[in-house]
Formats: sequence, structure tokens, C-alpha cells
Amino acid sequence: MKRFQSIRWRLQIWYGLLLVAVLSGFGAAVYRVESERQFRRGDEELQRRLQVLAASRHPVPNARPPRQHFVLLPENTALFDQKGGAGFYYVVWLHGSDAPIRSTSAPPDVPMPEESASARTRVRGAFHEAFLIPAHGDCLLVGHPMARDRAEVHRLAWGLVVAGSAVLLFGLMGGAWLVHRALQPIRDISLAAQKVATGDLTQRIASSASGSELGQLVNVLNSTFARLDAAFTQQARFTADAAHELRTPVSVMLAQSQDGLASACENAEHREAFEASQRAAHRMRRLIDSLLELARLDAGQESPARQPCDLATIAADGLKLVRPMAAQHGIQIHAELVAAICPGDGDRLAQVVTNLLTNAVEYNHEGGEVHVSTRHDNGTVALVVRNTGPGIATEDLPRIFDRFYRADKARGSGAGHTGLGLAIVKAIVQSHGGSLHAASEAGQGATFTVTLPS
Amino acid sequence: MRLLVVEDELDLLSVLVRAARKEGYAVDSAADGEEGLYKAQATDYDAIVLDMMLPRLEGWEVLARLRQTKATPVLILTARDRTADRVRGLDIGADDYVVKPFDLPELFARLRAIIRRGAHQTRAVLEVGEVRIDTAARTVTRQGQPVTLTAREYVVLEYLALHRGEVTSRTTLYEHLFDEDEATLSNILDVHIYNLRKKLGQDFIVTRRGHGYCIE
Repeated sequence: MKRFQSIRWRLQIWYGLLLVAVLSGFGAAVYRVESERQFRRGDEELQRRLQVLAASRHPVPNARPPRQHFVLLPENTALFDQKGGAGFYYVVWLHGSDAPIRSTSAPPDVPMPEESASARTRVRGAFHEAFLIPAHGDCLLVGHPMARDRAEVHRLAWGLVVAGSAVLLFGLMGGAWLVHRALQPIRDISLAAQKVATGDLTQRIASSASGSELGQLVNVLNSTFARLDAAFTQQARFTADAAHELRTPVSVMLAQSQDGLASACENAEHREAFEASQRAAHRMRRLIDSLLELARLDAGQESPARQPCDLATIAADGLKLVRPMAAQHGIQIHAELVAAICPGDGDRLAQVVTNLLTNAVEYNHEGGEVHVSTRHDNGTVALVVRNTGPGIATEDLPRIFDRFYRADKARGSGAGHTGLGLAIVKAIVQSHGGSLHAASEAGQGATFTVTLPS
Repeated sequence: MRLLVVEDELDLLSVLVRAARKEGYAVDSAADGEEGLYKAQATDYDAIVLDMMLPRLEGWEVLARLRQTKATPVLILTARDRTADRVRGLDIGADDYVVKPFDLPELFARLRAIIRRGAHQTRAVLEVGEVRIDTAARTVTRQGQPVTLTAREYVVLEYLALHRGEVTSRTTLYEHLFDEDEATLSNILDVHIYNLRKKLGQDFIVTRRGHGYCIE
């Protein structure tokens, strides 16, 4: 139900509910007013006819005791429907007679209203009737069936429902459009922020609504991104500059120590000193190279040349380099290489393979094993390097790709490690849009998995 | 063999000069681009080691201007390690490109290689009749027997052997054997030639009167 947690859907739902409430309230009011008006009009019609009926009741001249009789003038007969159906009818009772005078359209069994009834109108079943009791025993009644009115009110109700639905539909569509438009800047922002989060620090949010509230947010975010970008660039440039500046002094050290070694053969102590300097200089050179490499990868200067590379071929080449070293330590290498072609920079990927293989051999027991395999699943290719070494402690796992982090502190730097190998691997893999994963159980060896988009 | 080293870092310049002299080179040095260009144009060096980031005149410029008049082998020695820089340096006319920090043995091996190529030789071991000159180990054998030569004698031999078949004038030999700081006696070359003939055979080095020396 993630969809309904989005602002967009929640806005839509609230908006829709509100629209339904407003429309149904309005519809109900209209319905009620209209049906009352209908009823009142019917009532007026009834009263008008009742007046006519009252005027049609005359005393019989010279009658003793005085009697009334009922004569409807011909011009008034049109007021009543004589043919039956939905028209008006009348029923007139005179002197309490059981046989009232009735129009032909009157329903057969109209009861005489109670004289004591307070209201002078009544609704009887489907009929609406009004009556007048001019004297005791006399009663004039006009009525009409309400079926037609009711049908009309029903039609009105249906009309309201249809119109309301149409309004609701248009309203929802318009609302969806509005919400979409209103949320567009937010989508822009999150898209740009996502790209920044994945490392593309040059991304900026296109500020389409610079005047609005979001415009301010956009400006704040853009300037934050710019500062982030500047900080990263500065850091990368600093690393590059520092490494670069070190090249010449290290050259001096290396050349001096090597020159000294060439001439100080006879003095063992001097020789040792020169050898130590040379080792240190060599190590500094590796550090410089690695730092520069990382700085370049960070700065994204060298966008990797994307050519189809086969991880299997690269891994096979890497194995050739590592086999002599593995043989020295009696380590068996098992390769299971399946063609896995992906776009990438062959040299860089070769570096990934070599670093991982070298690590797998170096951080291994004497006589251990290294397993290398490549595979391709749908859309990705993978390289897996597994060894049977002492493995990586759980607390070290998340940090082994950090720069200068050493899981095995005891091992130190003597073996020529810069502490940057895995960091470089990670940077290269990321620059290819791939991911690098390490898994290990202490004592059970370690598995490194490189996944690249194919 | 005469080298020019152009490098503005004086500590590096001095160790390069010292080490190169130990390798038997006659070495001139320059600490900025202008001086380097001037010397490179004035003298026929066997090779030039050229830094790129130099005061007064950048290495690129030195190389580009030098190439208008001379084909001296040039090895670029620089802290710039980007592929684009290497490509640019080689395309301007450098013969090799070494990135700092470098290993001295490798630098000298590369220097030997570009000097060899400059003299149209391909192998590090030169064979002239029964004499075998290993330019990497700087050793000479005659009929399989090692011949002991002084450093100067070796250099004279190596130069003549590299330019085998060409007549090399005394001036040229002087120019390639001694650097700008050395005061040389005019007859010292005759002494070296005399000793070489004694060790390698009288006919090994031919004298062309009025022209110079030649290994045929």
C-alpha cells in the first residue's frame, strides 16, 4: 500500500472526498428545495380548485330546511380531469351523505376527512388532498395523485446524480492535473538529489518555480550541492596536488638512495640505511600513484572508455599475473570463467581483478585455495573472488573499502600495501555504475563480488 | 657518451649528474629551460634528460624548439603522469617518457636504449669481429676473454662501436667524452686510442689521417 502513502495519492483522496461531500450536500439541498417547491405548487393548485369548489356550493333556493347543492359551472370542469389518470379530482359530501358527488377521475374510496382534523391537507397513500369543511356534514375535497410529481422529483434526483458524477470526474481529473503540476518541482528536486546522492555532484535542480516557496528550497539545495561539489573537488584536487608535489622530492630520495647503494657496497651499515630509504621511497611512490589514481576517480576526470570487455578474459589475464605469487605460497587457484561481457574500461577492470586476486592470495593460509568465477545474469555480469583465508572480522567488514583502513593491523605496511587497493577497486567499480560486495565469516575465508551492468 | 640533464630541482639534478658520471657519461646540467635549450642547441649530446615543469621556458617549449634543428634523443623526466601528457610529450618529439619517482637503473637502461636507437643499433650487445661489448653491463670480451678497460677507454670504444662504419673526428670524440667542466689535455685521446689498440688489436681502430677514427 505504498502508493497510498505518497503525497500525491493522499492529496487526491482527500480532495476527492471533499468534492464528494460538497457535491452530495449541494445535491441534497437542491433535491429537498425542489421537492418542497413541487409539493407547494401542488398545494396551491389544490387550494385554487378548492376555492372553485367552495364557490360551486350553493344553497337550494327556497328549500326547507335549507339545503345546499353543488353545481360546477362548465368553464370550471376543465380544472378537473374527467378522464381519470393523473389529473385533479374532487369529492363533495353534502349533509353527511354517504354518496358524495365525485368527479370521474376520483379514486373510488376516498374517506371523508375528520371534521376535527387540524390540518386542512393530507397525504393519503399516493394522493395529495386538500379539503374544506364549510358546515357540519359538508365537505369539499380536492386531490391529485402525486405519482407525476414524484416522478419529476426522481428525474431531478437522477439528473443531480449524473451531473454530480460528471463534476466529480472532471474535478478529480483537474485535481490530478493540479497535484501533478504542483508536485513537479518536488519530483525535479528529488531526481536531482538522487543523482547527487549517487555521486554526480554537478547535478543542479532546474529551478522552474524560483519565485515560489519551493523556489527558495531549490535555491538552498542548489547552493548546498554547489558547496558539496566544491568541497569534493577541492579534496580531490588537494590530494592530486599533494601527491603530485611529492613526486619530485620522492624522486630525489629514490635516486639518492639508489645512487648511494651503487657506491656504498663495502659498508654494510650504509647499505642497510640506503636500502631502507629506497624501500620507503618505493612505498611512497606506490602511495602517490594510488592517491592520484583515487583523486582522478573521485574527480571523475577520466570518464571510463566504454568498450565491450569480457570479464572472463580479464580474469584469465589477471590469473596469469597472480599464479607465480600463489605458487610461492602453495595456493591453489580454481577458475570457473564464463563469458561475461559488459561495457567498460578494460585497463581499469583489469586493475580491479588484479587487486582482488592479489588480496585473495595474500590474505590466505599457506596452501589455501582461491576460487574465481564470472557469470552473467539478466542485465548484469559478476565476478566472484573467494578464498579460504582467515576471513574478515564482522566489525571490519563495513570498513574494508575505506581508504587506509587495515583490517589486519598486525600485518602493517611492510608487505608493500598502501591501504588503498580496495578503495581503488571500489572507486573503479562505482565509476562503471556497478557494485562491490564483501562477505566473510571469520575463519571461513572471504568472498568479494563485483557486479557490473552489462 | 655525453648527456645533458635539464632539471630545476637542484637535489635531483645533482644526484642525476653524479649517478650518470658513475655510469661513465660525460654530463652537462642546466637548471632552467632557457639554459637547457641553449646547451642542447650548442652541443651534439648523445641524449638529453628533460624535465617538463621548468622555470623560464617550459620543457614542452624546449623540446619543440630543439626539434626544429636537432634530432638529439630526448628522455622526458617529469612528475606529470597523465596519459594525455605522455602522449603530448612523445608527439612533440620525445624518445621516451619517464614519470617521477623513477628507479635509477631503469632510467639508465632507457637512456642506453634511446642512445642505441639514435645510433641505429638495436641490441645492447655490440659485436665487432671477435670483440663483444655489453653496453648494459659495460663489459668487453675478446675471443670470450674479458678485457679490462678504464672507464674512459670503455666510453671511447662504445662510442666508436655504436657509430660503427662512420669516421668520428677527434673534435666529435672530445665533445662526447668530456663535459663542459672538464679541462682536457689535447693528447689524452691519443693515449686512450693507443691503449685500446693494445688491448683489442692494432687494426681494431682505424685512423683516417685528417679525418678521425673509425671501427670498420
